[in-house]
Amino acid sequence: MGVTCVCQVPVAEGKSVQQTVDMLHKKLEQLGAIKQGNFWVDCETYHATGNATGQPSKLLYVMHNSETPLSSMALFEGGPGLTADANFDVLMVKLKSHFQNAKGHKVESRGTRYRYCDFLVKIGTVAMSSSARGISVEVEYCACVIPGDCWNLMKEFMQSFLGSSTPELPAVFTNKAEGLYTPVDCMDTMSQYLELFGKVRKQQVLPGSGVR
Amino acid sequence: MAKSCFLQLIAQVQEVSLDGLETYVPLLSMSQNLAKLAQRIDFNQSSDSDEDGPERESREPWGKPEPEEDEGTVKFQPSLWPWDSVRNNLRSALTEMCVLHDVLSVLKDKKYMALDPVSQDPALTKTPQVFQLISKKKSLATAAQLLLKGAEKLTKSLAENQEQRRQRDFNSELLRLRSQWKLRKVGHKILGDLSYRSAGSLFPHHGTFEVIKNTDIDLDKKVPDDYCPLNVQIPSDLEGSAYIKVSIQKQSADIGDLGTVSLFRRQPKAKPGSQMWHLKLEAAQNVLLCKEIFAQLSREAVQIKSQIPHIVVKNQIISQPFPGLQLSISLCHSTGEKKSQRASPDKSKPDDHLYVLEHNLHQLIREVHTMPHPASSPFGHKRLRLAGPMAYDKAEISSLQQSEGLLEKIIKQAKHIFLRSRTARTIDSLASRIEDPQIQAHWSNINSVYESSVKVLITSQGYEQICKSIQLQLNIGVEQIRVVHRDGRVITLSHQEQELQDFLLSQMSQHQVHAVQQLAKVMGWHVLSFSNHVGLGPIESIGNASAITVASPSGEHAISVRNGPESGCKVLVQFPRNQAKELPKSDAVQDARWTHLRGPYREVHCGRMEGRNFVYKMELLMAALSPCP
Repeated sequence: MGVTCVCQVPVAEGKSVQQTVDMLHKKLEQLGAIKQGNFWVDCETYHATGNATGQPSKLLYVMHNSETPLSSMALFEGGPGLTADANFDVLMVKLKSHFQNAKGHKVESRGTRYRYCDFLVKIGTVAMSSSARGISVEVEYCACVIPGDCWNLMKEFMQSFLGSSTPELPAVFTNKAEGLYTPVDCMDTMSQYLELFGKVRKQQVLPGSGVR
Repeated sequence: MAKSCFLQLIAQVQEVSLDGLETYVPLLSMSQNLAKLAQRIDFNQSSDSDEDGPERESREPWGKPEPEEDEGTVKFQPSLWPWDSVRNNLRSALTEMCVLHDVLSVLKDKKYMALDPVSQDPALTKTPQVFQLISKKKSLATAAQLLLKGAEKLTKSLAENQEQRRQRDFNSELLRLRSQWKLRKVGHKILGDLSYRSAGSLFPHHGTFEVIKNTDIDLDKKVPDDYCPLNVQIPSDLEGSAYIKVSIQKQSADIGDLGTVSLFRRQPKAKPGSQMWHLKLEAAQNVLLCKEIFAQLSREAVQIKSQIPHIVVKNQIISQPFPGLQLSISLCHSTGEKKSQRASPDKSKPDDHLYVLEHNLHQLIREVHTMPHPASSPFGHKRLRLAGPMAYDKAEISSLQQSEGLLEKIIKQAKHIFLRSRTARTIDSLASRIEDPQIQAHWSNINSVYESSVKVLITSQGYEQICKSIQLQLNIGVEQIRVVHRDGRVITLSHQEQELQDFLLSQMSQHQVHAVQQLAKVMGWHVLSFSNHVGLGPIESIGNASAITVASPSGEHAISVRNGPESGCKVLVQFPRNQAKELPKSDAVQDARWTHLRGPYREVHCGRMEGRNFVYKMELLMAALSPCP
């Protein structure tokens, strides 16, 4: 469990998603990272029903991560989050009357997992209803749990293989009430993924305008 | 007129004492009586006193009390004539007799008076006595009946006691048995369960024993002391006793033989009062446990893959934790009758190993037994329930889950024990062989089954405070030894004994040079150069040689020390040029002051120097070379 940074890598010009992913793999292997299996992160959306006022109902996102295979995380966008056992999904089925599953909105990111000394790099293809929409890169520095201490190191590492696509310090860490020097939680990772998935979802709307 | 008078023939009771003894008023003799009565008669007052006094006297006594009461105490004159009262009484008696006579004579005529009998209830007079008698008889009869009944019952029960003594003993024994073992009744038989199934074991042995009544006893003869009315019949394959023998044997010369230990062999001490059935059942359960452990081990030995495959032969498992080391686990089951021929030479080592291994084996088998648990809780470790909410990652989850089998664990433990004992032996042999410098080992008391640690200090005697730069922390694991040096280096050594020995020797040689460095500081000498691994001089086969050069405070002398693990120690002293025996003359250097510089070297024979150890010798040398001011 360490500090994670999730960012999106734009698809290279004239290349497909798969090709960009392969390029990144090659760069990592040149760096000396070792492939260590696969990973997946997925996100399901639930609408809260029974909303008296005409406001758009709040969306509940239930996410899973292969790094924590026995847990389910439930969070509202920008709001509180909950870490629970895998049985939480069954609970959501029972709460069908209050939370309705928006089946078409399931987003997931699957890919390979590389390990480079203390760094874990996960490069995944973000797919929504089995069409690849983007590339997610997650870098985790396992040796530290305080973002403020290791952000510079992580940035430098990311620059070495991401080049210009290196992100800034994720807003999750700066938005924390206690500041940059509090230990991280798995919720921070999930919030970052949620943000990324949200961006990816919106992205699709732009090219195919008019399609909801 | 009816006068009730009775003859006082029995003595009157004066008092009844507390123990029932009655004291009677003594009867008066005739003369005493006469005197008593005479005092009562008053012949002076009556005119018709008769002469036949004695007759009347004899008749009087019983009539006395009433006339006395009738007349009252008016005429009480003690100083009167003694026959006064007698006379009065006689007179009154005569009067009454005359009256009676008159009445009778009048009645005889039947003209003026008639006699009519008064009706009397015959039952009144007669029945009180008879009734009392009958009622007493009845009550006595009832009481007697009750007592008889009770006596009958007692005799009957006593008779039954004798007969059913066996029966009652059997029940009480059965109760005792039931308090310690599980029993159930199947038809007419009583069966018991001595397996570990209730603890969660999955071993397919039924473990049923039968309880039978022991009826081959003759009550008339004397009952033997160890007689037990209850007998248990255990399954035939659990008879006798069993134990597990673990032995670690060497196959090549350099690895020590750790010997043999027997686990689960100890006979449970027969507590006073414990019956034979208890011992029998415990022995049978022990056999079952040994069988289960051995079955589990042999199953794992066949299944798991390791570099050197394990061999399972009949009732022995042979595996090789280290090359050249053989670990054999065998199940020894001996039925009770025949004595085992091999007089098991148990090397009674002061064995922490025996209890620790046995305890470990108990714990391991308990972990194999899956405890019964409610259907709602999943299999596995309890802490896995927190895995979801606490977002455990894969590393944490896998650390919680058991992935090793029993045999692997035992082999790991055996490896660790072996490695630890060999490390200890290496250090001890070095310590006893080499006196300078000294090697100290401080073993940590708190170890785990897979890891122990020891702190090794290399010091010189007398200079412990100055020269303490070589301190090593050895963490002995399952297969490797990890050495952490004081200066931060971490070195991993394999299980080979030679590696550790070489390493320690090289550290010892480095210590000598470090000691000279520290000593120089204390003595005020300047360190000119110091190297842990010199590249000059003869090549050492173990480690590297170290060297140091120190200069005296005045700068006139310098000492160079080179110490190697194999080559030993070489000390050279540099003198000023003017002390050299042969002074090379040179035209270039003419000034006399240049002769104060250091020049030639001379070797010091350390072996011939005085001093307990090397550092002491160096101190002496330094002291000798610094002249007193």
